[in-house]
Amino acid sequence: MLSMRPLKPTFKSYLPPLQTDVNKTVQPPIKKLEAKLLPGEIVVNEVNFVRKCIGVDSSQDDLWGKLICTNFKVSFSTHDTLPQQKFQYTNRLLGEHDIPLACVEQVVTVNDAKGKQKVLGSNKKLKFNPMELIIYCKDFRIVRFRFDEAGPESAKKVCLAIAHYSHPADPQLLFGFEFAGKRHHSSTVNGIDPGVGPQTPLFDRPSDWDREIKRTGASEWRVCSINEGYAISPSLPEYFVVPVSLADQDLKQYSGFFTGQRLPLWCWNHPNGSALVRMASIKDPMQQRKLDQRICTAITKSHPKRSDVLKSDLDKTLPNIQDIQAAFVRLRQICVIEPFEETEERWLSSVEGSRWLEYVRTFLKHAAEVVYMLEGQHASVVLQEEEDRDLNCVISSLVLIMLDPHYRSRLGFQGLVQREWVMAGHRFLDRCNHLKKNDREESPLFLLFLNCVWQLMNQYPTAFEFTETYLTVLSDSMWIPIFTTFLFNSSRQHAEHCREFAQSKNITLGEGKTLCFPTVWDWDQQFSRKDQALFNSPLYVGKGTSCIHSGTVKTFKRTKKTYSSTLRGLNSLPNGMLTELDTFPRRNSLAQRLRPDFSVVREAPESPSERFFREWLSRPTDPHGLLLPQLLPSHLRLWRLYFLRWVPEAQISRGGPIMAFHRLSLLADEIESLQAQLRHCSSVGTPPGSTTNPPSSESGRMYFKAHSPDDLPSPPEYLTSSFPFSPVGNLCRRNILGTPLSKFLSGAKIWLSTETLANETL
Amino acid sequence: MEEVPRVPGETVKAVAKDVMYLCPFTGAVSGTLTVTDYKLYFKSLERDPPFVLDVNLGVISRVETISMQIGENNRGIEIVCKDMRNPRFAYKEEQSKLEIFETLTKHAFPLSNNLPLFAFLYKETFPEDGWKVYDPVAEYKRQGLPNESWTISKINSNFEVCDTYPAMLVVPTSIKDEELRKVASFRAKHRIPVLSWIHPESQATIVRCSQPLVGPSDRRCKEDERYLQTILDANAQSHKLTIFDARQSSVADTNKAKDGGYESESFYPNVELNFLEIPNIHVMRESLRKLREVVYPSIDEAHWLSGVDSTHWLEYIRLLLAGAVRVADKLECGKTSVVVHCSDGWDRTAQLTSLAMLMLDSYYRTLRGFQVLLEKEWISFGHRFAARLGHGDENHANSERSPLFVQFVDCVWQMTRQFPSAFEFNELFLITILDHLYSCLFGTFLYNSEQEREVHSKTVSLWSYVNNHTEDFTNPFYVNYENHVIYPVASLRHLELWVSYYVRWNPRMRPQMPVHQNLKELLVLRTELQKKVEELQRDVASSRSVSSSSDHGPSPSHTSTPLYTTV
Repeated sequence: MLSMRPLKPTFKSYLPPLQTDVNKTVQPPIKKLEAKLLPGEIVVNEVNFVRKCIGVDSSQDDLWGKLICTNFKVSFSTHDTLPQQKFQYTNRLLGEHDIPLACVEQVVTVNDAKGKQKVLGSNKKLKFNPMELIIYCKDFRIVRFRFDEAGPESAKKVCLAIAHYSHPADPQLLFGFEFAGKRHHSSTVNGIDPGVGPQTPLFDRPSDWDREIKRTGASEWRVCSINEGYAISPSLPEYFVVPVSLADQDLKQYSGFFTGQRLPLWCWNHPNGSALVRMASIKDPMQQRKLDQRICTAITKSHPKRSDVLKSDLDKTLPNIQDIQAAFVRLRQICVIEPFEETEERWLSSVEGSRWLEYVRTFLKHAAEVVYMLEGQHASVVLQEEEDRDLNCVISSLVLIMLDPHYRSRLGFQGLVQREWVMAGHRFLDRCNHLKKNDREESPLFLLFLNCVWQLMNQYPTAFEFTETYLTVLSDSMWIPIFTTFLFNSSRQHAEHCREFAQSKNITLGEGKTLCFPTVWDWDQQFSRKDQALFNSPLYVGKGTSCIHSGTVKTFKRTKKTYSSTLRGLNSLPNGMLTELDTFPRRNSLAQRLRPDFSVVREAPESPSERFFREWLSRPTDPHGLLLPQLLPSHLRLWRLYFLRWVPEAQISRGGPIMAFHRLSLLADEIESLQAQLRHCSSVGTPPGSTTNPPSSESGRMYFKAHSPDDLPSPPEYLTSSFPFSPVGNLCRRNILGTPLSKFLSGAKIWLSTETLANETL
Repeated sequence: MEEVPRVPGETVKAVAKDVMYLCPFTGAVSGTLTVTDYKLYFKSLERDPPFVLDVNLGVISRVETISMQIGENNRGIEIVCKDMRNPRFAYKEEQSKLEIFETLTKHAFPLSNNLPLFAFLYKETFPEDGWKVYDPVAEYKRQGLPNESWTISKINSNFEVCDTYPAMLVVPTSIKDEELRKVASFRAKHRIPVLSWIHPESQATIVRCSQPLVGPSDRRCKEDERYLQTILDANAQSHKLTIFDARQSSVADTNKAKDGGYESESFYPNVELNFLEIPNIHVMRESLRKLREVVYPSIDEAHWLSGVDSTHWLEYIRLLLAGAVRVADKLECGKTSVVVHCSDGWDRTAQLTSLAMLMLDSYYRTLRGFQVLLEKEWISFGHRFAARLGHGDENHANSERSPLFVQFVDCVWQMTRQFPSAFEFNELFLITILDHLYSCLFGTFLYNSEQEREVHSKTVSLWSYVNNHTEDFTNPFYVNYENHVIYPVASLRHLELWVSYYVRWNPRMRPQMPVHQNLKELLVLRTELQKKVEELQRDVASSRSVSSSSDHGPSPSHTSTPLYTTV
């Protein structure tokens, strides 16, 4: 069967050219299928003549190849190319068919002849020869392989190897360590020189914090280094910010009373002087009142107007991590596991029943209320949570995104995640369940946060520099265990494991040096510069861009004029370009008269915060000012790109929001090149275009480039509502009952209505 | 006293002071109520800015007195509207107040009170005559008709063959008038199969008609059978003809027992019959009624999605879109001609054919093309607007009423959501159409059929107004891709409740900042920049020509990025 298929030499490198330098010898067209390996990656087991399932009902599109398990990924190597469309971006670390082991949620083997199936764990035995392997992935993919033509023993071995290696017994078995170790040995640093361009601040050194203090004008706050070497708290970063009135000596004394010795952490200062602080609970009830008082006094002292401190207890008002995990599991169930048709009938009720959107709303709402305290009541706020490592991360980062446009730029956002999640000690290792040890600790808090950000982005598309593709790719990166960002429970754990690993591998680390673990923010590791353009929103007309383009992060001074929400006016757009086109339809037009009356009037009992929200919503929004989420159920949507991107039946061909994005990108690109022309001729004084080097569009921010008007006859074929992802081969549900899963015909499945009125004839 | 704003031809009929409007969102407010022959207009100066409620009378479905007691106000009235709201007023029992509500009822239901619909009093003039938008001959010519297989027949020019069909029909060339009459007698309401649309390449056609009068005894009609065979033969690409019966198969069987029915595959060789299982007008009316309960006046935030689910409204939208996709797919991919019918062929049939045509033919997705589509598939082919909407008629419980056209426009809106750059018109255009569906300001949607519709000289067309305000209704994302067939995904994962139409009265449900507004800003920015570049070029060019005889002339390079969109 396999021999019938012509073998095409389509072997392709997934790695940046730098790494393939080793094999410089030109190779003849390869007949053998090999996995493409990263430094430190080794093949554990492999099996030939494997069929990867593409279609549900027929096997005609299926791909033949070799299934390989390495210490990093499940790889499928094939000479066949996918039917229909392909991924529109290439991950440099992963091939089209590859699944990192950390992304494997569940491994299921099936033998239809014996009617058996088994979920494989680490060190499990398999008593039958598998005919089929189904891998359920954490990023919602479901991938199926058939072993009809493969050697039964090797198939079994590969399945067991995948199961085993996707359950690492120890964090140091996560592939990132081998990778970093190898990279440490090789003198050249893989990838692009880190010196180029502005870097995401990692907040692992005092200067990053100093810059934030300066940027927000928090003069009454200071960087504290008592936790250097993690002397005080195992989960706090080495450097954090505290009120100037608290001396190191006091802090050392207080730390013992807090859960996890976690002293309160400063997050941010409002221009009005109010501060946002996050804090763990105080263990000792005897000390509680006194200590609370001291902390609050110190925060008050750091407020220019000595305003009160308000407390927000998140444990009392928000769902806990198990609730969130349960909602997520339910949502995954209806999005990808259950048959499409069966979930179609009661889809909205099922979405509601999952409670995922409800939780998204709860978190946004809570964050908005904290915003009101800071902005509306001019009060400093302390976010309180038992451990200060889960809910506080979500709320503090949401609050900051709403209040400070800096965090809506890509660099600002990355710094925010680094600070409020990674450095603050969010237990990524446990919450991601990378070791698959304790399911009770697993919870998609970070994804919930990204979902909340997406809602804001969906409501205020001009306010964000990055796109939903960026958010999706960021969340997918959680399952590539190469980046330090999402691998550890705390920065101390990171440091310790690195030291131990280096010792065990006889790697000598220089003074103050650690293993060379990349962070996820080094996007060049994963994507080409061209693909990274997918992260840029065409609608973002941020002042942040000038910051980024200049190459250095300036301490930017916030002037009242651009920042204050009270000055949110029509002329707040750059160049005063906002027109009255839409907001004020022409007088005497019938269209206007027929519009609903939005005359805003007082509602009888209205809380001050409600009033604050209503008044804010009644004014035009400044994308570079305060943002508040709209929270009625009709305003909150399911994040379709994330949840439905692999579902073939839900894919809109040449449709979806990407079409608007495409259109906008072309326009933004055109505007950029016009601006470049303008800059060019004003500096050179030559007519634009007449010079030998007209501004190249290659340097533009946009993924889609404006072309000449002549080539516009049809929309790009490859654009779908899943773009840049592709469902092909990534979602093969299997019906356990054995009936064909999808009777789906051109989107038309019909069921009988239960309406009694149907008998009335007409 | 301050005058209420009026449209030309509108006269004030009654005014009453100290009426209380019970706003479900912002509480009670007192003010002056004015009733004209076109609208009721309530204005209160108690609030700043003044509170105004403006309801055109055409939209009123019924007026009911309700019992209440708010201070001095001991009488209450509820005005149930066809557009999902029902404003309530309270007033003190006084002569002037009783009179004004009497006047309101009289003018809200003019036909029940021997008064003309307001469209006949409306005196506005527009530079363009919207009645000229649709010219059947021109439209058929655009489709390449007549051709060797299809001809434009004048057999119905006096509406003798079928009184609910237009005067001009496209039928197979080889069919004689005599045969046509025989076919007419075999089809419900004489609505014979006629061509609606022809594929420019494959020549596959969309043909619409009513159910055949088969009856319980399985009657046959040789002419009808031959007629369908001729339609099949006109398309050389396929050896099949597909009939889509929009109804539920069980209902079709019931109809058969009552002298209606469907084509038997054994009598019609090479024909394939499919039921689309779409429930009838009564089910749809009930569904919209439930939807109103879910969205007005207040919404249940905790159960919003399941509330919408329970109305089945989106489920029916899905059924319709799925059916239309099957029709379009049959033509485009199967290159097969299709016949669409339901019972009478003026409700579900119109929905399906016009949706399929929107998917297949990008012309109908333009502002003008959409007007032509409505004029053709809905108005000229006898969708019974008067009966389905009950213009000016006080009998609100009439079972003939049903929101089929609203449902169709909702489907169109769903398509615009899935394909944001495929339509030249915007959401406001669709909402404007729906508002004037009820308003009785224009003559466009007033009647049941072309024969009844002798309105061209006496009323104004909605398109006169629309085409005088095109910039308000244009979608800035629109790109005119050629031969662009769109298949919406008929799945609840993508269908949404049209909040900005159904829930627009609730100020809290205000939709978020629309992206198209940002696009407009960018378009303006681009124009501005282009202007600046040009200016600079001119400056530089002129300074050069003065200083030196430069070898580069004025550069044409800026033309490489000119406008290819309409701003």
